[in-house]
This record gives sequence, structure tokens and C-alpha cells, in this order.
Amino acid sequence: MPYGYNGKILHVNLTDGSWEVEEPGEVWYRTYVGGSSLAAYCLLKHIKAGIDPLSAENVLVFACSVVTGAPLSGFSRYTVAAKSPLTGGFGEAEAGGYFGPELKFAGFDAIVFYGSASKPSYLWIHDGDVEIRDAANLWGKDNWETLEGLREELGDKRIRVASIGPAGERLIPFACVQNDLEHFNGRAGMGAVMGSKNLKAVAVRGKQKLEMADPDSVKEIRRWHNERFKVHPPNVGLSKVGTSGLVKGLNQAGILPTHNFKYGEFKGVDKIDAEAYHGTIYHSSGTCYSCAVKCKRRVALEDDAYPLDPRFGGPEYESLGCLGSLLEIDNLPAIARANQVCNLMGLDAISTGCVVAFAMECFEHDILTTEDTGGKALEFGDADAMLWVIEEMVNQRGIGKVLSQGVKKAAAAIGRGADKYAFHIKGSELPVHDGRGKTGMALGYALSPTADHVETPHDTAFAANVTNLLPLGILEPVQPLDTDAAKARYFSLGQKAWGLNNCYGICNFCSVPIHAMTFTRLVEAIKAITGWETSLFEILRVSERSNVMARIFNNREGFSPADDRVIRRWHEPMPDGPLKGQRIDPKEFQAAVEMYYEISGWDKDGKPTPGKLIDLNLEWLIDNDDPGTGETVSSSA
Amino acid sequence: MTIQVQVKLFLHLRKNRNQTVEVTDGATAGDLVGLLGIRPEEVGVLSINDRQAALDQPLKDGDVVSIIPPIGGG
Repeated sequence: MPYGYNGKILHVNLTDGSWEVEEPGEVWYRTYVGGSSLAAYCLLKHIKAGIDPLSAENVLVFACSVVTGAPLSGFSRYTVAAKSPLTGGFGEAEAGGYFGPELKFAGFDAIVFYGSASKPSYLWIHDGDVEIRDAANLWGKDNWETLEGLREELGDKRIRVASIGPAGERLIPFACVQNDLEHFNGRAGMGAVMGSKNLKAVAVRGKQKLEMADPDSVKEIRRWHNERFKVHPPNVGLSKVGTSGLVKGLNQAGILPTHNFKYGEFKGVDKIDAEAYHGTIYHSSGTCYSCAVKCKRRVALEDDAYPLDPRFGGPEYESLGCLGSLLEIDNLPAIARANQVCNLMGLDAISTGCVVAFAMECFEHDILTTEDTGGKALEFGDADAMLWVIEEMVNQRGIGKVLSQGVKKAAAAIGRGADKYAFHIKGSELPVHDGRGKTGMALGYALSPTADHVETPHDTAFAANVTNLLPLGILEPVQPLDTDAAKARYFSLGQKAWGLNNCYGICNFCSVPIHAMTFTRLVEAIKAITGWETSLFEILRVSERSNVMARIFNNREGFSPADDRVIRRWHEPMPDGPLKGQRIDPKEFQAAVEMYYEISGWDKDGKPTPGKLIDLNLEWLIDNDDPGTGETVSSSA
Repeated sequence: MTIQVQVKLFLHLRKNRNQTVEVTDGATAGDLVGLLGIRPEEVGVLSINDRQAALDQPLKDGDVVSIIPPIGGG
């Protein structure tokens, strides 16, 4: 019997209501492991190239890993993946909380959805039993009403629910999936894919124990790990103030995106930083399954204009940036209110803020006027304008309906030169880290399959020392502002290390390389859970394999080296602040991207070579243009 | 008995950057952070002699301590 995982993948055909269980075997699990990697395998196998992401032909994956649910801090995350309606490419988003572990305890490692239900439905999994149930009474409800409705209907307060709000039902391409209103599979529009399948929610409950190969060693690692959080910067900060602690540091470094990515310094930072947050709206701290860090924040405020309810989650760093500095809004209760609306309605707060910033800059340049908005002025700094745009998007009214397509499509629909202010990479809006101040992060944005930042090292953390990167062979301090071959090498190595967390479903904030885990102890933990004699070499290969599979998915969908780019603004000198004058030279950047291809074993077209695919046990992908089978379930590799 | 350590502060901590500080023998990096009036949550990276260190690491005479606020992650 396997340790750490169930050995069971649930395949659900929503069109005909059937389901079956696949048991792929140890070699498959050790190759694909879980999370983003397992999901990439499923998408490549089961999605035909060129399909409409919002059609029944898309495939939606919920994936835990072989170690999800182990009683270690951070081992709680799961991936939701599908072809993205926002980018048309590989779509992936991770969330922590309790849903992933509960799915494992209910008997499955992953769920793969095919087809589309004829009416609103939800999936109910309890201790290995599977039911597709009617969700007519939940359709149109927000995420809180959905959670409460399901608890009542199923008669169990302890169920865990991943659901979509009205934004997902209305197919907004940056709608998210959430659990417990504190944990979000935010990016890439996975909520819209659920909506297109008439799938309102997945509810799980399981009482099965996770069998581990060496529970005593896991217990010992847990004790060591949790002690380290108390003294290891930056975990001390995460426990005390969550991710809000980043606001001030990034601002002082000149890389807190402000005014739609124009500036890197926000004058109103003191009103939205950790101190302001904890002195005004902070209510309590939350956490994920088995985690000692407790970085989640809940907020509360009795206020007529911006009432805040601790049940509906508090803003993280990204929300404070995207709904705050990016819009030059320093009204913290209003930012938190906008975040709550996103949580309840099921919108990704990152894309939402970027879309509002785009609209405000179009308004600033008279590309959008009050004629387009029905009289509403959309000026930077105006919190009520932000809340108005969000409401119009959710309700699919007027300019809100146009904007709700994301900045790329909205700019095309508006015309009049709006694309000049539509900042996206591969069609995805950006998290708030200015690439001009950390060029490795800029490479990460350009080369990530989803244009996201979580598989990327932050150069600024390694300017003084690289202690945590020494096991990767990164031996010299990193120069945050340089864009050269050394930076490409550093990024390539770092990406494998950061990326493994999404494959194994481990939180960056508890894991390698910069938080309170070491590579040695992580390998020991995976070995103690699974019983596999694994190594740093093997887990980095899992990460690289995952990235290469996602790359092939994107290549198959027509992405090319021209899409491996950053936004125009980062090639222009920073107009003000600590990094005044700083820009990324386009030629140097292009050379670094090409160097990354060479380092990775990719050809000049950005395609992994046959040799690289053989190296990674991906022979079955040598014919890169294989359009996928489109079959519901196929045998494992 | 006291020892001397050299402190390098970065970004918004940088008031009085590059200073020599006297601490009691046996003091830890966390004690030094407190002495400097820096809140523990303001520490993103702490290194001693170019090696990353935890707040409970004891200091030695002549150590060079760098403190950078949180500027990565999220």
C-alpha cells in the first residue's frame, strides 16, 4: 500500500454524470507527484489543442500531492488547473486551507472533471463515496451563502468546500475558486471554468487517516520546523503581521507598483502598511491545516461606508498592492472592503485591481470618459470609483462588462490606444512586484507558464547573502538590477527550487528556499511521508518536468518566444523614487531569455528539445505538436 | 562583559546605517534587533558575516550583522 497518498484519481464526467477511479501506480506518482505537475500531465493528456476554455471540452483538475495532508506546517496546498480563459494557455492556481487535506482524507489524490453538467451541480465526496448533486438553490449565491447552504444541506459543519461565486457563474475570465473565504485559487480564471461546467462547488469530508512510512520522523521534523518559525526571519514577521509586512519594505526599495505600474513608490504607504493594518482593521489571525505560521489575517470594522466582516477574509500583500498602491488608494477600510467583495463574489483580487488601474489610467488620458461610464469619474485615489467598477463588473453592466474581460481584451474592445495602458503578460494581469528593481523576478514573469511570480526567487532577498541558495550551486550574492547570463543561471536554478513547492503542494512561506525549511530536511520529510529514498536532485527534476510540461501546453496553444516578455513600462526609466532612472534594457533582457532557453535545453523557438524531454522521462511528449487525445480517461504513462 | 558588533541596515531601517554597537557577551541577534529598536516583524533577512542567521544565534565580538526588511514573497 502506498504511503502519503491514496493511489486514486477520481475522474468525473459532468456531461453524463458518470465517474470512475483510476489507480495509476507508484512509477506514475513518483514521476508526476501532484499539484501543478500532476495537473499539467492531465491537461496535456486530455485537452485537445485549440479548444474554447469555456466549452465542455476543457478539463478541470483539482490536484493534491503525495505529501498533502501530512501534519507539517505548509503541507496543505492543492492546485486547480485547466486551460485558462484569461490567457488561452496553461491555467493553474494554488490555495492552502483545509480543502486539500480533506480531499486526501476522503480517499482521493486528485479529481479530473470532463464535460459540462446540464444544470447547476456540485460534487459531494465523503469517505470514498461520490455524488453529483443538484445546486439549483445555490446558483447565484455568494461564496459565504454557498458554504452555509452546503453545510446545512449536508448536515455537517465540518465539510470543506471549494466554490465559485457569481463571478465564476458569469464566466468572468479572472474569477477564482475559494475555500473558507480565506484561501483562494486566485489566478488564471479557474472559477470561470467551473462556471462554464455548471459546477458550483466541490464539498468533501473524510475521516481516513493518512498513512505515512515513518510517522516518528515526521513528528520530529514537525517539532524542529515549528521551533524554527519562532526565530527565523522572515517567518517571525509572517506570524506577527502576515504578508502586510512586505508593503513597507517594497516601497522603500522602490518596487511597490503604484499608479498602474508607473511608479515604484507610493506616497500613502504609511496608511496601508502593517502598522496601519494592525492598528485599525485587524481582527484575528487565521491559518491552514496543521500550520504554525498563522499568516492569514481577518479584519473587522463597524462602518457605514466600508463595513468589514471577519468571516470574509482580510487583504494580503497582493490585495493591499493591487487594490491600494496600484490605484493610489490609501483608504485601508475601502481596500479591505473591495477585497471582501472580491472574496464573496469570487473575483481574483490581483486581476481585479489591475483592471481597475487600467480603467483609471484610460480615464486619466481621456480614452475613457464619463460618456463611457454613465457619468462616473474614474480617478486614481478614488476608493468609491474602485468599488463602483468592481460592482459593475460583477453585475456585468456597461463599461464593467467590457472591463471584466481582463485588460488585454478590454483594451481591444475599447480601442482608441487603450492597449498602451493595458499591462499584462501572456494575457494575464500582474502581481505587484516591479521587475525594474528585481530583474530575476522580471524573467520569472516573462517565462512563467502563467505569468505569475510564485515560482520565482526575489533577487532582493539575496543581495546580501545566498546562504539558502548554496545547495543549488548559487554561490555568489545576486545583483538585483543586473540582467545578464549570471542572472539567467540564477533564475533557472531558483525557478526549479521555488517551483517544487507547487508540485508537492507546500506553502512557500513554510518551505525552501527562504523560509524555515532546509533542503536537507525537506527531502527527509518527503522520504518519511512516502517511504521513497528521494533526493534534492529528484525533487528539482519533478519541478523542472512540471515547468516543461506547462511550456509544451502553451507552445501547443500557439504561444511563442514573442510572449516571453515583460510590460512596456519596465523598459522605460522609473520616473521617481529610490530607483529613479532604473529600466530593464530590452536587448539585455532578450539575451537573458535566450540564455535561459539554452540553459534549459530548449531550442531558439523556446521548445524543449527531444534530448531534454528524454532527460525528464517525458518521451511521450517528443512529438510536441501532438494535439492531445481529448479522451475522457486514458491509461497512465 | 561586552562585545562589539558592526551593524549594516538597509532600506527603511537605514537610519544610522553602518554603526558599531556594544552588546553584552552572550547576546543573540534577536537581542540586537531589540536594542536597535527594530520590531522582529521588520526583519526579512538577517545575516551574520554574510551567512543567513536566525534571531536566536549568539553574537561574537567583531561580527558583521546585516538586516534587510521583508522585500520578497507574497
